[in-house]
Amino acid sequence: MAESGEALGTVPEHERILQEIESTDTACVGPTLRSVYDGQPNAHKKFMEKLDACIRNHDKEIEKMCNFHHQGFVDAITELLKVRADAEKLKVQVTDTNRRFQDAGKEVIEQTEDIIRCRIQQRNITTVVEKLQLCLPVLEMYSKLKEQMSMQRYYSALKTMEQLENVYFPRVSQYRFCQLMMDTLPKLREDIKDISMSDLKDFLESIRKHSDKIGETAMKQAQQQKSFSIAVQKQTNMRFGKNMHVNNDRTLEEKSDIILKHTLEEEAENDEEVLTVQDLVDFSPVYRCSHIYSALGDEETFENYYRKQRKKQARLVLQPQSSVHETVDGYRRYFTQIVGFFVVEDHILHVTQGLVTRAYTDELWNMALSKIIAVLRAHSSYCTDPDLVLELKNLIVIFADTLQGYGFSVNRLFDLLFEIRDQYNETLLKKWAGIFRDIFEEDNYSPIPIGSEEEYKMVISKFPFQDPDLEKQSFPKKFPMSQSVPLIYIQVKEFIYASLKFSESLHRSSTEIDDMLRKSTNLLLTRILSSCLLNLIRKPHIGLTELVQIIINTTHLEQACKYLEDFITNITNISQETVHTTRLYGLSTFKDARHAAEGEIYTKLNQKIDEFVQLADYDWTMAESDGRASGYLMDLINFLRSIFQVFTHLPGKVAQTACMSACQHLSTSLMQMLLDSELKQISMGAVQQFNLDVIQCELFASSEPVPGFQGDTLQLAFIDLRQLLDLFMVWDWSTYLADYGQPASKYLRVNPHAALTLLEKMKDTSKKNNIFAQFRKNDRDRQKLIETVVKQLRGLVTGMSQHM
Amino acid sequence: MAKKTYDLLFKLLLIGDSGVGKTCVLFRFSDDAFNTTFISTIEIDFKIKTVELQGKKIKLQIWDTAGQERFHTITTSYYRGAMGIMLVYDITNGKSFENISKWLRNIDQHANEDVERMLLRNKCDMDHKRVVPKGKGEQIAREHRIRFFETSAKANINIEKAFLTLPEDILRKTPVKEPNSENVDISSGGGVTGWKSKCC
Repeated sequence: MAESGEALGTVPEHERILQEIESTDTACVGPTLRSVYDGQPNAHKKFMEKLDACIRNHDKEIEKMCNFHHQGFVDAITELLKVRADAEKLKVQVTDTNRRFQDAGKEVIEQTEDIIRCRIQQRNITTVVEKLQLCLPVLEMYSKLKEQMSMQRYYSALKTMEQLENVYFPRVSQYRFCQLMMDTLPKLREDIKDISMSDLKDFLESIRKHSDKIGETAMKQAQQQKSFSIAVQKQTNMRFGKNMHVNNDRTLEEKSDIILKHTLEEEAENDEEVLTVQDLVDFSPVYRCSHIYSALGDEETFENYYRKQRKKQARLVLQPQSSVHETVDGYRRYFTQIVGFFVVEDHILHVTQGLVTRAYTDELWNMALSKIIAVLRAHSSYCTDPDLVLELKNLIVIFADTLQGYGFSVNRLFDLLFEIRDQYNETLLKKWAGIFRDIFEEDNYSPIPIGSEEEYKMVISKFPFQDPDLEKQSFPKKFPMSQSVPLIYIQVKEFIYASLKFSESLHRSSTEIDDMLRKSTNLLLTRILSSCLLNLIRKPHIGLTELVQIIINTTHLEQACKYLEDFITNITNISQETVHTTRLYGLSTFKDARHAAEGEIYTKLNQKIDEFVQLADYDWTMAESDGRASGYLMDLINFLRSIFQVFTHLPGKVAQTACMSACQHLSTSLMQMLLDSELKQISMGAVQQFNLDVIQCELFASSEPVPGFQGDTLQLAFIDLRQLLDLFMVWDWSTYLADYGQPASKYLRVNPHAALTLLEKMKDTSKKNNIFAQFRKNDRDRQKLIETVVKQLRGLVTGMSQHM
Repeated sequence: MAKKTYDLLFKLLLIGDSGVGKTCVLFRFSDDAFNTTFISTIEIDFKIKTVELQGKKIKLQIWDTAGQERFHTITTSYYRGAMGIMLVYDITNGKSFENISKWLRNIDQHANEDVERMLLRNKCDMDHKRVVPKGKGEQIAREHRIRFFETSAKANINIEKAFLTLPEDILRKTPVKEPNSENVDISSGGGVTGWKSKCC
């Protein structure tokens, strides 16, 4: 090339083009040639001239080369002609060999074709095997998944699904069956969710159904634990030689023994059936469901659902039946369900991770506690049976101890128990009100008759009565009180026992118990017994016999109060010397009752007197007295005499007061009869008859119907009447008027108003005989005197009015 | 009172053994009430009730006595003034029936000769415990020519009837006053109106 270029000596551009044509591939020569035509208009022609020159150069070169190699060419041809003959020979040999090969190899060819087919088949088989080896694991896993689903091993199934999706499916994703499988997984997941939730619901139903049993078991265990504590304390007391010495039939120690014995027996019976919450309920659905939802990444849904459902169940459990307050069993079912609920929550709290938290259970418990307290407050207020209230309290204590053992706070329950204690005491008070009423109703209000030493000791053992004189008497004899007294005393002690029962297990100090007992007993005495006594005393038809006996009874009950104080002291072991000990002030109850009974005696006596007075039938215009006291008054005097004979066993002052009250009432009644405004006329004869009656009253008063009056004390009741009647019968007006206002006056107690009233009634009488009077000087003079005295008495009365 | 509120006053007396129901019978009549508890009467007591018979207001003063022996000295002093006497026995208590004879003798000794008498067989509601046959009660009533009633204070049987029959018998023997003499007392004074005591 270089030689050719140097020979031509052409334009550089055309030379470059020619070089490119020679070195460039055929496919790319187009652009080069186009550049020739794109140039100047004569470039083509010049290029063709250059091209012809280049061709001639090349032809010369070829001729030189041919000349140089001519001899070699001839030698070669010669050699070729020789080879022609050898080639013909070889051809014949090869053809023959070929024919022989063909004949000999036919069989081999046939077998070779078979081999080829086999090879193809093997290759296909190998390919198939390889493909299948990719697919089979997927199918196996899917089959495993199906099996796990049918065997309800859902968590494993979820794991299998995960492997399928992440490991196996990518390997065979090009196959259709693989796609079909993948499409079923979401549904399977939903199925697992639904099935798990269904299991959870069954579980929730199960624990709801078994709450009773769970709670019952837990409460029994708590109770047994407590009985062990009691036993330990008892041993400790014995070891330290502490001796609870109480002078009564039943002691706390004996009661503890009884409780402990019963509890141990119960425990023995239940030894074979000590069940834990796991024995009663299958918790696996919760665990599985928790795992499944956790694996599905939907943990929160599960937790929310669980808590929501349990809150609903809690509300159901906390909603008592309307009749729960009627029996203790109603309360027990209520409590055991609640305990069962929270025992389950506590168990789940400890065996799961976060499904139930302490904060959650505490919140739930606080809500529950408020509800429980409200329910107990409402329902216990319906309880009217103290035994039921007591059993309720025992249940609440066991309930509280049980839940406290599981870590729940129960202080508010114990606060509630104090409210219930007040409720309990109220029901006790009501019950004892009924008891007292029955005792009073059945009493015969007669001194207790005693026929033998045994009977005597029987009464003494019930009531602390001490009287050496009575003790020395021979049989038959009588206690002064009636049978209600020992019965009341016994019942007050029973009340104290009953009140004490509530304080057991409440973890209060002896001082507090002592204080509470005294307060309760004070309420019993000052409110209940007092009310019963007053109602008894004010009964419409109560007789004097009963009232007298009640006075005697209350005296002895009052004296017995100090023994009740000792009784309480012995129970609680709190010395009476303790500064803040509450004192029994029920003493006032008996004083008040006695005063009421005394007052009632006076009232009833006066009522009898009134009935007699209403029988009075004086002839107020009689000319002369018949010389004998009126019949009604004699009956009255005899009646009073009989009554006060029977009152010999009344306390002296009471009988005296009753007698004085009767005399004063009688005197007042007689005076009112005389001064009655409806009585218009009185004759002197009537006055004389009236005077005979008053004399009988005075005789009664001076006969000392009741021992103990000093001098003429009782007769003073009739002094007003006496002086008034004397004034009129003696007609001693000059003395009366002259001495009026003087301390030494003979008629000091005559009220001018009374004198005036009576005198005017006598004046009217005189007027009635006016016609005849004109004919008798004495009568005329008497009339004038009456008029004069009337005027003077009016002056006195007017003067009195002005001074007042 | 200046003016009487009744026309006649009749005094009645209840006697009989302790526990036969004298107080209960009276209680039923006067207050229409019954007390199951036996409370022995030891004081003399009375109830007053006004009834109307044949157009007249009659005030009944009914005395209740103690049945026990030791109170008899008090009780007998009331026989004298009684115008009617009810003897009570208990059909379930044979002793109380046997003692009716004794009570009748007491009446003869201490009461007015012309006192009206009546026999009450009480507690007839307890027929299942009866120990005194009806015939016996009737027999003694006939022998002494006195009325008899079977009563029950508890069940309120024949109480009202008995307490109205006795005053009727008394009223039948009471002198009838002339209308024009109402304002003038012919009889002597004293508390016994409409009845003249033969012991004057």
